[in-house]
Amino acid sequence: MPQLAATRALAESEFAQLVDALSSEPDRGNELIDLLREDHPVYDQRGAAATVRMRGWILIALSRSALNDNALLFVLEELDTGRDAYLVAAAARALRSYANPNAAFAPFVIRAIDNIRYHDEPVTLERYGEYATSTTDSGTTPVRELLATLVWLGPHAREVLREIESWRANRSGFSKKFWNEVDQAFDAVAGIDPLRESNHDTCCCKLPSSLGNTHSWSPGSRNDCEAIESTVFEDHDGATIAFGEFFRGHPSVVVFFYTRCDNPQKCSLTITKLARLQKLLADQGLTEQISTSAITYDPAFDVPERLSGYGRNRGVRLDARHRMLRAIDGVDALRNHFKLGVNFIESLVNRHRIEVYILDVDGRVAASFERIHWNEQEVINRAVELLKEERPPPPPSETGRLVAPSRSSTALPVASTFASLGLAFFPKCPVCWAAYLSVLGLTGLERIPYAPWLQLALIALVLLNVVSVWMRGRATGRMSAFALVAAGAIAILISRAGLGLDGAGPWGVALTLAGSLLSALSREKTTPVLWRRLATRV
Amino acid sequence: MSKKGIKRAAKSAKSAMQAGATSLSPRLAMTTATNAGKSVKERVAAMPNVSQAVIESDAQLQAVLKVLRSKDEPTPVRLAALQALQAASFAVIEFESCRGDYLATLRAVATDSDLELRQRVLGILARENDGFAQQRLLEGLQNPEKALLPPEKALQLLGYDVHADAYPVAREIVKHPPSDAAKREALRLLGADASSKPLFEKILRDKEETREIRQIAASSLHAIAPAALQKHAREMLLDPKEYSDIQETSLTALTQFGDAGKVEKDETLMKRISSLRGVGSTKLKQGARLFQAKYGG
Amino acid sequence: MTADLEINNSANPRARYVTWFPSPCRIRLTDASGATAPVSVTLTGRSTATGGVVRFRRTQSGAAATSLSLQLPINGASMPFFVSGLFGRPSLADGDVTIEARAGTALIGAVKLMVRIRKNANTLTVAERNRFIGAFAQLNNQGAGRFVDFRNMHTAAASPQAHGAPGFLPWHRAYLLDLERELQGIDSSVALPYWRFDQAAPNLFSLAYLGFSTSANGTVQFSSTNPLQFWVTDGVQGINRRPFFNTTSGFASGRTEAQTLALGAQYAAFRNMESNPHGSAHTSFGGSISSIPTAARDPLFFLLHANVDRLWAKWQRQNNRFDPTVAASFTNDGSNPIGHNLADTMWPWNGITGPPRPPTAPGGAMAASPSVTAPGAQPRVRNSLDFQGRINVASRLGFDYDDVPMP
Repeated sequence: MPQLAATRALAESEFAQLVDALSSEPDRGNELIDLLREDHPVYDQRGAAATVRMRGWILIALSRSALNDNALLFVLEELDTGRDAYLVAAAARALRSYANPNAAFAPFVIRAIDNIRYHDEPVTLERYGEYATSTTDSGTTPVRELLATLVWLGPHAREVLREIESWRANRSGFSKKFWNEVDQAFDAVAGIDPLRESNHDTCCCKLPSSLGNTHSWSPGSRNDCEAIESTVFEDHDGATIAFGEFFRGHPSVVVFFYTRCDNPQKCSLTITKLARLQKLLADQGLTEQISTSAITYDPAFDVPERLSGYGRNRGVRLDARHRMLRAIDGVDALRNHFKLGVNFIESLVNRHRIEVYILDVDGRVAASFERIHWNEQEVINRAVELLKEERPPPPPSETGRLVAPSRSSTALPVASTFASLGLAFFPKCPVCWAAYLSVLGLTGLERIPYAPWLQLALIALVLLNVVSVWMRGRATGRMSAFALVAAGAIAILISRAGLGLDGAGPWGVALTLAGSLLSALSREKTTPVLWRRLATRV
Repeated sequence: MSKKGIKRAAKSAKSAMQAGATSLSPRLAMTTATNAGKSVKERVAAMPNVSQAVIESDAQLQAVLKVLRSKDEPTPVRLAALQALQAASFAVIEFESCRGDYLATLRAVATDSDLELRQRVLGILARENDGFAQQRLLEGLQNPEKALLPPEKALQLLGYDVHADAYPVAREIVKHPPSDAAKREALRLLGADASSKPLFEKILRDKEETREIRQIAASSLHAIAPAALQKHAREMLLDPKEYSDIQETSLTALTQFGDAGKVEKDETLMKRISSLRGVGSTKLKQGARLFQAKYGG
Repeated sequence: MTADLEINNSANPRARYVTWFPSPCRIRLTDASGATAPVSVTLTGRSTATGGVVRFRRTQSGAAATSLSLQLPINGASMPFFVSGLFGRPSLADGDVTIEARAGTALIGAVKLMVRIRKNANTLTVAERNRFIGAFAQLNNQGAGRFVDFRNMHTAAASPQAHGAPGFLPWHRAYLLDLERELQGIDSSVALPYWRFDQAAPNLFSLAYLGFSTSANGTVQFSSTNPLQFWVTDGVQGINRRPFFNTTSGFASGRTEAQTLALGAQYAAFRNMESNPHGSAHTSFGGSISSIPTAARDPLFFLLHANVDRLWAKWQRQNNRFDPTVAASFTNDGSNPIGHNLADTMWPWNGITGPPRPPTAPGGAMAASPSVTAPGAQPRVRNSLDFQGRINVASRLGFDYDDVPMP
């Protein structure tokens, strides 16, 4: 079967085939998980219902093999905040394919039951896009799946035994259709506790360490915000302010939301929690030192009056340091800079994750809290650490650590440009020498011996130029400049190799010059994968 | 039963329901409502009393669901069963164990041969943001042979969820409307789309458009760009050639939602409103009085 | 000589509203003008021909009279008295009844007030109707106003807080009260009217009022001067309401008032009215009002529930069910979910979020009233029962219905 590309043009039926294909190939597991990113192009211009069907199918595919840590976060997210029956059912089933039950999963399962129990409905997890029209067919429901997951957790869910007991004790408190399953869950959870029995250490009661939030604590490892420096916002009062104006000079907490979000566990709760965070800041005397803002995903619709109303209705403090914002310019750059977990159908959000960022005094992202509910005090603690942070010195060059290029660092492009210019104008033949000397008025066209040491210098300059342009190419994501310079280098070296191809020299010079100038003029568009991985390892 | 017969039975059933729910006991009501041997009128009259019964017993729930699903049952009885179930669903906590079967049955009936039944169940599902219903409705708009409802109804139901993928088809229908009703509903749906501002401005100022369409444009513009509506409302009021009904709408917008600081300083507008008290239509005169009561002049 | 009168013991003009229940008032001399002994003052009410009429009492439980004589100390100390509206004569407009204080024939003080009562929506005067819909439209404010909180209080996520358990009636009473107080913040003469759903209401379902729609269409139409034409909820303009009955001559299906009141004298029996007639009234339409997740998008929802509340008030009066300590007044047997027990505070006014409550609490605390102190910022279920203050005067909530009198 020809490989299907995961793009917005893919029909849903083809998408389902792609998911099935990826899930059957163990070495393509990460590609499958990557499809769960909200900002994946495959969701672009899809309606919310289509997005649900597609994501659900991925979760179902994951449930057929062992769920790994990379996928676990998406599953837990769905249990934590999901309100769609299909997705919650699929997530509950997928969790059971994780290698080992973990006590840390139990609160997620209980939370999911609380979220979904009054919106339970039959779902079919067998065929893509099918909706249950009967409860007696081969269907299930999210509550049924969640109860089964509690059974799977067994004694690992001992922490939530009281909730299950309350369901049993007060029979009117839980749907009578599930009384048997509730009893089964109770029996399983109340069973022998393997942790107590085996004196197991408590590491299986915590979420895997690869989950959770990402931090870039080394200032040198944070991406600069040159790309969005000039992004212009309009705030809740209609005042305009540029990114640099508002976010530089103090740490800030930034959340993303939109007023038409229909999941109360997401945007409405995020803004409510922002209000709580502001109150904690006030209690700790930090209101003027740490700013907060909420930026809408939906700037076209969320005009200032809506921003203001939404915030005030949730108790958000609004003033010069604490604002609700919409981007009126540079929207795409903003989205790219924060790598927002969101996608759209036209201007309307079709799906997004919870995302909270802490920016340092230079407006750079120092930490992010994604997907799973974040703790207000923890966010404040991180922001306070940034308050105390000393401004970083220029990044070291000999530590063996590669450092992400920053706005203040122009070393690479400058070196590249001078090296290339130096190389381009370096005299490579007696004629060149003569030309230079005649320009300087020192001599006529007398033959000047071409010293051997100059060859080595030439080769060194060529190599320096090639390497610097390569590095610059990795930074910008564009390798065309490198291609030109490499071709130019080859041409120059061939012309000096004594193969009688002297005519290649000028071509080499021209290609080198063109490639070097192209490299110098390119701007960094995305954080290269290399920098990002290294940054998150800090 | 013939179409005429169904209509007569429906009318009679409505009267039966409106005559007030009977004082039948829930048990007797269940027996009557689910008994094919009873008359349509009796069964329909009994149905409102089964709402409590379906919550209390799964067997009774299944019996009423069966009536709803069954194509052999008279349509008025099926509609009454639907209403009884819908009424019961308001008791959310008690209805918890009924919901799954209820939704599944609604989906099964969404493709029924009876238009009224389809419309009602798709309405219920659409208000739950049900993906199944949205998918079918969109399919029908894109491919009329598969349409379960007329386009204006489908658009109306899709409008319950702004996240439904309905804007492109709505814009197409505005350009090439199969009916006035469809165009109207398409415009209402687009009222949640900020990028439709230019469309609404154009329609609002187009004197060839019907009053109703222009009113929708005014309301939609008010929702997505209130300042723009205020500006256009002012201009339309000052235009002596503008129709009085759209001027009435404009006056209402300014009176209710105008920026007092701006309006009170607008001498041209204030003068115009004063003149309307003397020469405008009755409603314009009334509106002018209310305007002046608020802003003076 | 001058005297100052305060209604509801408040100088705030926004407190000058009374119901059928005696409101505490006071009067004092502000200028004794040479009097050397307490001044004898007579209080009377002066009404317009169709306006509200008041009655006076010396004490809360005293006999009602058309006038009252008091001796006012010359040192300016206040003298209490009580004022109530005369049942059957509510006001039609703000300040259409005046209390006059006379010393002999000299008028020494006067205050305009209103007998503000919740009325049948179908019989409001044009002026009352316009004030009501004007205030409602302002509260909505093209979807950006405070109404959005009321819409967000009644969603699928929030529904277990208010439905399917005994707290259904108390919760909705508090909900309506909060909304009414917000409307009164815009226009203090407004009282929430009720839709008597077991009777025809052709005036209500008209272009100039809550709009007209048909079974064929379902999109509600308004006249060009009706501010509700700008109604927006969830970002979408307009209202979907598809009546399954003729709104000019017909009425909703479900139990009549008499049948509802005959459900039983115990609360456990009466609360079956949740499915019928309450649920039946909701489902007598297609459109927003017929489903819980969308019902509050239609302003008619609040008038429907005002009638539900009126039926409860009538049942309470009929069976003397105002006292929360009486078992028959409310089902409180320990098996109710959270938010449905007498002592429970009610979401969202309690601000409690997280399971088993919804994740957020829109709207904040209960709106305060200048006239009464109950139910407080975070009402409990029990606070909804004694709405007229019959058991405890301090419990009165400040509203009454035009056809539910005092005993």
